[in-house]
Amino acid sequence: MDSKQNNKLQDHKAEKLKEIPKWTRKYAQNRTLTILVLMAMLGLFSMLIAAIVGFLLALAVTGFRKGNIILGCVGAAVLAAVLAALVKFYIYIFAKFGGKNKGLLDQIIDRWIYGQEGFTSMPQTKLTKKRKFLDICLGIVFMVCILGSMQLAMLGYISVKYLLPLMALFVVPFGVYQYFIMRPRFGPVILIFPVLYAIHAILIIAGVPIYFTGTFAVPLNMLLPIIYNLLAFMVGHIYSRYALKKIKSLTHLEGDTANGD
Amino acid sequence: MEIDKIIHEPARLRIMMILAGLEQADFTFLTATLSLTRGNLNRHIEKLESAGYLEVKRSFKGKVRNTSYKITQQGSKALAQYWENLDAIRQSGQS
Repeated sequence: MDSKQNNKLQDHKAEKLKEIPKWTRKYAQNRTLTILVLMAMLGLFSMLIAAIVGFLLALAVTGFRKGNIILGCVGAAVLAAVLAALVKFYIYIFAKFGGKNKGLLDQIIDRWIYGQEGFTSMPQTKLTKKRKFLDICLGIVFMVCILGSMQLAMLGYISVKYLLPLMALFVVPFGVYQYFIMRPRFGPVILIFPVLYAIHAILIIAGVPIYFTGTFAVPLNMLLPIIYNLLAFMVGHIYSRYALKKIKSLTHLEGDTANGD
Repeated sequence: MEIDKIIHEPARLRIMMILAGLEQADFTFLTATLSLTRGNLNRHIEKLESAGYLEVKRSFKGKVRNTSYKITQQGSKALAQYWENLDAIRQSGQS
């Protein structure tokens, strides 16, 4: 009886060990906090640049309009200096993290966030020239659609209520396409974004008032895809914690076994 | 039917199974997940590497030196064969 029970236990252990590759893959695919931090950094930097340039531009224009030449010239000079500094900064950034060093920034952030856990990687899909061209074309089409719908809503051709459902027509397919591009580096967590966005759009059509109205309605409604993307990456990170716990429980060795030959 | 003794050792089996799910993993990840000492992990890795089951990649991540491991094609085949043999033995034991 004891030997039968022992055999069953061994079988169970062997079956559990077979699950290790599945969980390591899930863990590696869901280390998404790196992307979240990268997106937040990019967002904050863009906002800072927009605020500085916007302020200086307003200062220069106001100065010239009111006949205050000194204020106008100072504003224009500082704006030119800021733009020159920005160009220099972009050249520096490209030299450090572009070209041959592509992906270095991701690695630095990844090491900063997940350094203690070590480094893992999933195979990357090799991009053919045809595929690269297709991705660029789709990216351009996507940007034209985004800017076009924004413009249409601002000019009043589309009611703010229908801006999100209209955008869902291209944001959702693009989100699904993004999943196929990013596979297997990222897992199905990428699909959270298009799914949530589609549900949101359907609810608006059904009459639920879940959209922004007022002066900044258009830009605020346009922000939703970013929020859902951030949410998807956050869910991914939380899931990676669970996957890591699972790997550790599956690979745990007792003291003697661990130190054996 | 013979069981591959190199893979059959519990720590080495786990190293192989971890790497089977990934493209590559580094030394820190393996020590952290397996809770092995650095020396012990090194010893197991050396055995797997000399058997041709693992490939070692030494590189620099910025200024930090990094050692990553990747399962070879031979290693993947050996691991699949190991499970096949083990399952066959388990089944013959049950019948």
